[in-house]
Amino acid sequence: MSLQNVLTNWSQYRKTHEDGGFYDYEHMWGMSVDLNKCTGCNACSVACYAENNLAVVGKEKFDKGQGMHWMRVERYWDEPDLAAGESTEFSEHGGSFLPMMCQQCNAATCEPVCPVAATYHTPDGLNAQVYNRCIGSRYCSNNCPYRLRYFNFYSYYESSWPEPLNMQLNPDLSVRDKGVMEKCTFCVQRIRVAKDTASRENQALVDGDITPACVQTCPTKALVFGDLINTESKLSKLWASHEVELGKTEQHKKNKEKRGYRVFEELNTDPCVMYLERVKEV
Amino acid sequence: MSGNDINRRKFLKVMGWGGAGAALAGCDMPTTVTLEEGKETVVSYLMPEEYVIPGQGVYFASTCQQCPAGCGVHGRVREGRVLKLEGNAVSPINEGGLCQMGQAGVQTHYNPDRLTKPLLRKGGSLSEVTWEEALAALDEKIGANSSVEGGKVAWMTGTVSGHQSVLLEGLLESLGGAKHYVYDLINNHVAAQVNEAMYGTTRPTYHLTKAKAVLSFGADLVGVSQSPVHFAAEYAKFREAPRGVLIQVEPNMSLTGGNADLWVPAKPGTEGALAMGIAHELINNHGKDASALPSGLNGKIKAYDLAKVETLTGVPTDKVKSIAKILAEKAPSLILTGASIESSENGYAATAAAAMLNVLLGNVGETITSSGGFPFPQLDAKTGSGADLLQFADAAGKGAIDVVFFHGVNPVFTAPGYLDLEAGLGKIPFKVSLSLFADETTNQADLVLPLASALEDWGTHVPAYQPEQSVIAMQQPLMEKLYPATKGFGDILLDMLKLRKVEGYTDFSDYYAFLQDAFAALPAEFKNGVDNASFWNQTLASGFISIPKQNASITANALDIAVTLPGENINYGLSLLPAIRLGMWDGRHANIPWLQEAPDQITKAVWGSWAEIHPKTASRLGLATGDFIKVESVKGDVEVPVYVYRGVFPDSVAVSVGQGHQAYGRYAEGRGVNPLTILDSATDGKTGEPALYGTRVKVSKVAVNKDEILVQFGGSESQVGRKLAATITAEVFNRTEGA
Ligand code: SF4
Ligand code: SF4
Ligand code: SF4
Repeated sequence: MSLQNVLTNWSQYRKTHEDGGFYDYEHMWGMSVDLNKCTGCNACSVACYAENNLAVVGKEKFDKGQGMHWMRVERYWDEPDLAAGESTEFSEHGGSFLPMMCQQCNAATCEPVCPVAATYHTPDGLNAQVYNRCIGSRYCSNNCPYRLRYFNFYSYYESSWPEPLNMQLNPDLSVRDKGVMEKCTFCVQRIRVAKDTASRENQALVDGDITPACVQTCPTKALVFGDLINTESKLSKLWASHEVELGKTEQHKKNKEKRGYRVFEELNTDPCVMYLERVKEV
Repeated sequence: MSGNDINRRKFLKVMGWGGAGAALAGCDMPTTVTLEEGKETVVSYLMPEEYVIPGQGVYFASTCQQCPAGCGVHGRVREGRVLKLEGNAVSPINEGGLCQMGQAGVQTHYNPDRLTKPLLRKGGSLSEVTWEEALAALDEKIGANSSVEGGKVAWMTGTVSGHQSVLLEGLLESLGGAKHYVYDLINNHVAAQVNEAMYGTTRPTYHLTKAKAVLSFGADLVGVSQSPVHFAAEYAKFREAPRGVLIQVEPNMSLTGGNADLWVPAKPGTEGALAMGIAHELINNHGKDASALPSGLNGKIKAYDLAKVETLTGVPTDKVKSIAKILAEKAPSLILTGASIESSENGYAATAAAAMLNVLLGNVGETITSSGGFPFPQLDAKTGSGADLLQFADAAGKGAIDVVFFHGVNPVFTAPGYLDLEAGLGKIPFKVSLSLFADETTNQADLVLPLASALEDWGTHVPAYQPEQSVIAMQQPLMEKLYPATKGFGDILLDMLKLRKVEGYTDFSDYYAFLQDAFAALPAEFKNGVDNASFWNQTLASGFISIPKQNASITANALDIAVTLPGENINYGLSLLPAIRLGMWDGRHANIPWLQEAPDQITKAVWGSWAEIHPKTASRLGLATGDFIKVESVKGDVEVPVYVYRGVFPDSVAVSVGQGHQAYGRYAEGRGVNPLTILDSATDGKTGEPALYGTRVKVSKVAVNKDEILVQFGGSESQVGRKLAATITAEVFNRTEGA
């Protein structure tokens, strides 16, 4: 894909639901995160480090907010929704854990601001990052409302993978160098392998063929991955059962008590990640 | 008994299947392979061709060694290198999941600070030697022709099981009187002894999924527990509609506490009194049948009216009432205990008081069943206890040990400082450390035997906690050794058995050959009707051997115990709470960069130590998050940055465990502090276990140490009213998602 091609076909790469939806996508990879099951254990995050060659930046740089955790587990002590039931002396309802990875927004606010189209939308419905094209302007990161883009302020190869730690690096994807933006790809290399294998064997992709590293390791199976275009996928059914639809800035649920929601969907980012509300006995 | 019978017995014992008793009576297993045949099938292990398919990852099954839970892993191997570990979906232990420590197993394996050569102390310092020299040094000390006194030889290991345990026991036996100390900082020996007294078994099986409510006294099920991934999976099922209620009582928040519906801090050391109060309420206001309990205990419960309980424990009466109400309404329930109640000065009695609630509530036989036993006692897990550490320290200090071997433990780091283990080790003339790393204990050794990593070694493992089905988990190498001069644990044990010329073991060329023969000798009834070669291959492919559980019933007797309360100490007004979490574990993972950079689940701190303090206490002491304090006990002090939050009991300070290494490689060394160094000498009177929660401290503000500042992930502790992690009530959830 040449830059010329990108510029000529800009509207193809910059899709929003206002543009008429996503009918010509091949896939629409999405996820669901069940906060009733998630314990905040952080296994997903470390699995992501292992799979995606994420650099360890060290204490000083971490303190400056330069950690590379594509999948991060946030922990809040308050719960605005249950405020009335909260004791002031103790965190009686525990913490609120929130695994956050790139929400693979269909109307990704990070995309149109990139001066070189290093971040664009793939026919798989993924928000992709072309490392070779990225010039490090960091506009995208500034424009991601979820703060889910991570910048290589330094070259980490030497410091993060002293020998023989480098032998663990996943050869299916690169180690990003200084000046490049990166973020969760839904383990695009796994998607690639599964698609290639399927096409080599003349088979259609089957729901469950692809499991991103975070989903694979989750001890509570709080994470579900799948294709939102395939209405038969486990994920599509989950979205449907929670009455969450793509292409909305607000869900009009018949049953308002259903738990599904998308973080900041009112910003019109149209994320492909659905969260299921945390549950507490009060 | 015929000579043949005796040979069979001996043979089975050598192979680890001995003592199986009734389970094996009458089976014809010794005919599957004879000892003579066993000697002939000496095959050296070589990497098969299929390890290398250019450009393609192949998955091989093995068993995680990052904690003793025994989770099954699939290692992704490409071009002869292991790249990634994933959970084995068919393992009954972890059902496909792995915790973050398991995920980081590759960074233990590829760690840049691994030991690569045997080291021998010569003239004060350790220098590299060959294995021949190392074994010659060993031969001189413990060989068959040495003048070794078995009674003065000791082994100290962490939890050990499977065929490694068989070899180790064979070695100890040949040394006549040698003592095996099994030590783990993280253990459940107090609960095990309560279980033994109550149920006649140390390890009953718990069924979270059958419970409608769980009351946990500090049991960090989904974090630091006997089987973290297993219990996390169970937890998730427990939370499906109709959703189980989790109440967590503990002085500082664990990961499990962070997920509780109701998190209740009790004054450290008073949890037993709280359990008595809950029993009081259940009997008096919910009609629970006190006759299920011993009459002596009944009398004692009467004394715990709720007003008294509130004074003793700091838990308000209405909270105790609502806990009792939930338990009474949601049957069956499950009461569990963990370190904060077990590892206190009255740990045994307090744990027994909590466990008594299971009897009162009729949970025994419902959510607690018999483990069904494990038919091969030689292979069963020997789990570590703290009492063994104390005994070891005592023996070492008295000069009663001449030769000691360490494997899977780092007592110089994890032992309470007052034991002064360094000095104790100084009195042992010859110390041998089998280790991957130059940790604090290894640096004191006279002979260092560098281990192959878990991903390079063979082994079998019997998890101490076996869920619905028992397994013997299989560990196989996922790649060639990174360092040719390292050796597997089993191989080193075989070397030593050969030095001792122990009958039955001397003819095996290596541990792989031994394991193959051991598998061949497994009674046919466990082999799914296939021949030995297929069975071996099947086991390598699946990653474990299933051992069906026997159906056994369980009965329980609540124990007639008297709970006591910790004394006050005006000079040391605060309780010291060790914050042990999934990640650093007991400090063994401080050398893993991913885990150093993985935020602690509760405080979100990275790369260092911290102290958790309640806002009330903080304001009394004029402290804010990020300030530094000196935490001082009668045994010493540490200085740490403070994290202020509402997940810790006032008048206590929880200091993170795992950092403060003096050695252990570039990622661990010289970072943070080790609160275990300032533990007081309190123990639980009944079991002799060290009381990790029994130390009193005082706290004072000190100057900020720029090198040790608190670094946390994320800026915001609050959602500031935004819908990030939204919450609904269980009532709504059960309505919309209930069956
Ligand atoms: S691995 Fe699963 S349970 Fe653990 S933090 Fe991630 S999503 Fe939550
Ligand atoms: S979450 Fe952020 S980085 Fe990901 S697609 Fe949306 S705007 Fe872009
Ligand atoms: S719980 Fe223990 S055995 Fe299981 S993955 Fe984690 S460290 Fe490994």
